[in-house]
Amino acid sequence: MSASQSAVRSRAEAVQVSRTLDWMILFTLFFAVLGGYHIHYMLTGGDWDFWSDWKDRRLWVTVAPIVSITFPAAVQACLWWRYRLPIGATVSVLGLLLGEWINRYLNFWGWTYFPVNFCFPSQLLPGAIVLDVVLMLSGSMTLTAVVGGMAYGLIFYPGNWPVIAPLHVPVEYNGMMMTLADLQGYHYVRTGTPEYIRMVEKGTLRTFGKDVAPVSAFFSAFVSIIIYFLWHFFGKWFAKTDFISDDAT
Amino acid sequence: MKIIKDKVAKLSFVALLVTMTAAIFYTPAASAHGEKSQAAFMRMRTIHWFDLNWSKDEVAVNDTMTISGKFHVFAGWPETVDKPEVSFLNIGIPGPVFIRAGSWIGDQLVPRSVSLELGNTYEFKVLLKARRPGDWHVHTMMNVQGGGPIIGPGKWVTITGSMGEFVNPVTTLTGETINLEDYELDNIYFWHAFWYALGLAWLIFWVKRPLFVPRHIAVSSGKADTLISATDRKVAVAFGVGVLVIVAASMGTTNEKYPVTTPLQAGLLRGIKPIEMPEPTVDVKVEDATYRVPGRAMQMTLTITNNGDRPVRLGEFNTASVRFLDPDVLEDESGYPDDLLAEEGLTVSDNSPIQPGETRTVNVTASDAAWEVYRLADLIYDPDSRFAGLLFFFDDEGNRQMVMVDAPLIPSFI
Repeated sequence: MSASQSAVRSRAEAVQVSRTLDWMILFTLFFAVLGGYHIHYMLTGGDWDFWSDWKDRRLWVTVAPIVSITFPAAVQACLWWRYRLPIGATVSVLGLLLGEWINRYLNFWGWTYFPVNFCFPSQLLPGAIVLDVVLMLSGSMTLTAVVGGMAYGLIFYPGNWPVIAPLHVPVEYNGMMMTLADLQGYHYVRTGTPEYIRMVEKGTLRTFGKDVAPVSAFFSAFVSIIIYFLWHFFGKWFAKTDFISDDAT
Repeated sequence: MKIIKDKVAKLSFVALLVTMTAAIFYTPAASAHGEKSQAAFMRMRTIHWFDLNWSKDEVAVNDTMTISGKFHVFAGWPETVDKPEVSFLNIGIPGPVFIRAGSWIGDQLVPRSVSLELGNTYEFKVLLKARRPGDWHVHTMMNVQGGGPIIGPGKWVTITGSMGEFVNPVTTLTGETINLEDYELDNIYFWHAFWYALGLAWLIFWVKRPLFVPRHIAVSSGKADTLISATDRKVAVAFGVGVLVIVAASMGTTNEKYPVTTPLQAGLLRGIKPIEMPEPTVDVKVEDATYRVPGRAMQMTLTITNNGDRPVRLGEFNTASVRFLDPDVLEDESGYPDDLLAEEGLTVSDNSPIQPGETRTVNVTASDAAWEVYRLADLIYDPDSRFAGLLFFFDDEGNRQMVMVDAPLIPSFI
């Protein structure tokens, strides 16, 4: 067979090969993103995502969306501009959460016996779906960054609240008040994570009294917009096909 | 010849694979916490643990035990380690095999970090509740911000029973008693499964159609707009609005279900009260100190002055949690870990009672395999070659005095 001949002999065969390629690419994409995104998020979000006693209304709300909007933006750039597929953010977060749950269940619980209700991951899917929907409806990187990125940051805390709220119920313990999440951190000994490492409730955001979470979420949303732009460009750059000599684009 | 070479190469490769495969079946349990690897000067010149007591050697799941004792924060704290202004009384165990049911320094519960003062001695207690069966090395530990974990002595404790029986009941300020071990686990699983299913639904909506090759051809040929249909837009709007409605509704119902929630609690506990230690009446001056590498022994020349009104004898030298005892003066009855106890490890050239007002210069030798086993001999490679420790003197009525020593240490290689 010469280079100019087709690899398939009929349209039906072409469709079949195309479909096989779809699944192969999707499978590879899913697990490649799972690996890369997981490492990235663990290195940048780390303990805020690992432990319930790090999931506060101030820093967790700020940090988690900013560092997690990265891969969704990049994968969106690739899948949207090349294929008009608005699934980049969702497929990224589905991959990340699968990896995280495997890690938390097998390692944190199965290996070191931390209860799952202490080390469950943050929920990122509501923001990811909204990000994909905004990109599809607008077809614009700028609008997705501004509206989608903003929504991604704002929706994070309320999207996690049904899981977090029960752990923020107060308890009196030997004469001190703490939340159940604080008590989990105290009870379930982490030899390598002393209490002072915990970065919660730090900062000077005191003007708004107890209503800190919305302000933190807005700040996170603004920064998420910038990070979205940056990583969207990374995605576009990675999706270049300059190395293919006869590039139709 | 080539055939033989090929066969040797092939067999070598097979042997390598077999060796590597066999290696995965050798998985011994990690049974220590790297305490011997911690720099010797860190263990000798930071936190000195003493009078330690592990209340039990064996404990059943759900039962409790305590570790109690005292620690002295060394006044000559090394410059290379941040001072213990932000510290946390921890416990060195392999994961949550116990839960820390309580920890106190003096009378103060210390679930948070504390500020410690150099030169002070503190009393502490840690209450542990057994959770996971097994044999565990249970260490005292102080984490110091900028200094790292400073691990104290460890003792083996056996937990019996079944982890499935472990319960951790807690009563909240809203009057509900819950088991913290599995509290709200179903709620966590439900919400994560729900959102994952919704994400998968969005994904499946798109991947059920031809994806990469035909869509790439369409985009490349300028027909990208044809790839998104009106139905796609309607479905997207439904997903977008649906997500927002679900988030808002679930937040509302959660607030109704949990009307009382508080932020996470954090902050440094200052003003931790030390023990009022009596001023020692024994004065000790270190004339010189050498460590003889081949003999695994430290020798000190001490000039001791007894300013008290009763005769005293030197009974113990405690450094880096290793206790060197003179058996004529002191026998340990506390069940201190054997590997850290040199019951006959302290030799004093003249350990007859030092009378009130008397000054005597003596040669003191602290020798034991622990110098090597616990890698204290590595002190000679530390950036500041000094040693420090606690000397305990006893009078004829059994009263004890604690004196700190801190001096340069000269290694001897012959």
